[in-house]
This record gives sequence, C-alpha cells and structure tokens, in this order.
Amino acid sequence: MTATEALYVYGVVPEATHPGLFADVEGIAGGRSVRLVEAKGVAAIVSPVPLGDFEEEALEQHLRDPAWLEEKVRAHDRVLAAAVGRVTVLPLRFGSIYRGEDHVRTMLAERDELADDLVRLDGLEELGVKALLDTSVLRGRLESARGADVAAGSGRAYMLRKGFERELDAEVRTFAATCADESHARLAAASVAARANPTQAPEVAGGDMILNGAYLVRFDAEEKLRSAVAELAARYGDDGVSYELTGPWPPYNFVEEGET
Amino acid sequence: MTSASPALQQQVTLVELVDRVLNKGVSLTGDITLSVAGVDLVYVGLRLLLASASTLDRLDAE
Repeated sequence: MTATEALYVYGVVPEATHPGLFADVEGIAGGRSVRLVEAKGVAAIVSPVPLGDFEEEALEQHLRDPAWLEEKVRAHDRVLAAAVGRVTVLPLRFGSIYRGEDHVRTMLAERDELADDLVRLDGLEELGVKALLDTSVLRGRLESARGADVAAGSGRAYMLRKGFERELDAEVRTFAATCADESHARLAAASVAARANPTQAPEVAGGDMILNGAYLVRFDAEEKLRSAVAELAARYGDDGVSYELTGPWPPYNFVEEGET
Repeated sequence: MTSASPALQQQVTLVELVDRVLNKGVSLTGDITLSVAGVDLVYVGLRLLLASASTLDRLDAE
C-alpha cells in the first residue's frame, strides 16, 4: 500500500471468514485484490483504490458521472454478493474509505455494535419482493364483473359512464391497498423480519408499484419465501398483479442506522 | 412473470441496487467522507436513476 492508495470498505464479516471467498471477485478499482482486515473478532472486506479517484474532490466529481457511478455501485454489490449466503455480511453504505489498514482496524475496534449486529443477523440474508399492478387488467375484470349495465350512445349514458369510471377508480385503489397489505403479511409470515419500503415512482419501477418489501430469511429458508411469492402470484395474478423477487442481498434493510 | 424488455429489466435491477448500495447499509465515518464533501447519496442515487431512465427513453425512441 502506497501513499497514493486508500482502502475502500465494502462490508463487515465475522473474523473467521475465509479470505478465499473473495479470490475471484473484481474489486471496485479493478483487479482481484479484495482481502480482509481483522480486529476484535470482526473483519472488514476491503480493496485498494487510487486516491486520485477516491479523494473528496475527485469523488464528488465522479459521483456526477452516471456511467462511473453505476459501474462502482455494481462493483460494491458484486463483492458483497460473493459472501452472501455463505457468511453473515453487514453491508456498508457506498463510499466508506480509509487511509490504511491501521485506520480500518481502529474503526473496527471502536464500533462494538458491528460484532453485536453480526450476532443478531447470524445466518440471515435479505430478499426483495416488489408487486406491480397492471390496472388495465384489474379494471377490465371489475368491469365485466359488473356486467354491461351501461349502454353507450345517449348523453345520459355518458353521464352514467363517468360515474361508473369514478367507482372503478375507487375500487382499484381499495384493491391495491388490500392486496399490498395482505401480500406483505403473507411474506412477513415466511420470514424472520420484514420491512415495507415506500413504493417507487412508475418511471423507475416500470409500472404501478403497490409493494416494495424487504424480507430477512435464513440462508437455507429462501424456498419458504419463494413459495409464498408463488402462492401470491397464483392468488392475485388474474387481477393484474405481478411479483418480482430479487436477491439474495446482504441485509441492507436490517442493519442499524450508523452514527455519522 | 413480467414481460419487460431486457433494457427495462436492467433498469429495474439498477433501481434495486441504488435503493440499497446508496440509500441503505451501515454508514461509517471513513477517513474520506462523502458527507464532509456535502454529498447526499440519496440525491446522487436519484440522479443516477433519472440519467439511466433518460438513456432508456433514447433507446426506445431509436
């Protein structure tokens, strides 16, 4: 390590973790250089980064470059993904950089809660489940369930039609709320802990999102959550609801908020 | 379950990543801190997603 390098920290794992887990994964600055730095029963997953790219000013500039940022965000995830499901991983937020191994060790020694969190989250990983509602499918279903009681043509029919549309809108909203609640409850029952995050905007979600959930499961119990998702898809699929399961992730949604 | 295009799928994955890597996780005060530089990672993530979404729009238009 030279004066022109720093260490990027991806996450924290138990001290006994085999460094070979990261032998084949490329670090955030390229190269197979990911290693562990240990202290007080825990180990930080690190790799060297050039200060030229990761010092405050340079970093701030890079963060404005979508291509650079996307590549680095993917790299951060790729390194942690090498360990998820094999050892307990505490994921760090993007951009924790230290000026040397000694500094990383000091940080590890000062943060007792890291060891506590590793115990609390022992053998656990996160799965993400998002539910999207295709409202045109649901509206079509609700409409045909009502029967063709609104004939087209006259002005009166037009007014009836407007009222009918408003009722349908309300029914769609009620369905979305109920379906989201019931889906989350079903998934929570299949996991150790659950969190419903705010839904994402249609532009980024690719549709009308009704549930954006994160679920904590044991490494060997992924199947339980997968079958819960399949069950929900069978129950609500005809209403226009589709589910997307992602992960396994390190438990990003279940680590304590750190002091900054 | 979804019939999204590969480009949209990739966008969806990026959303998941940004939602976690930039917005969540243990936050430590490193030697080089983004907070000192006045950087809000949630905002940075939003900007990345918008940039990515507009790239998709361009691809769709082509």
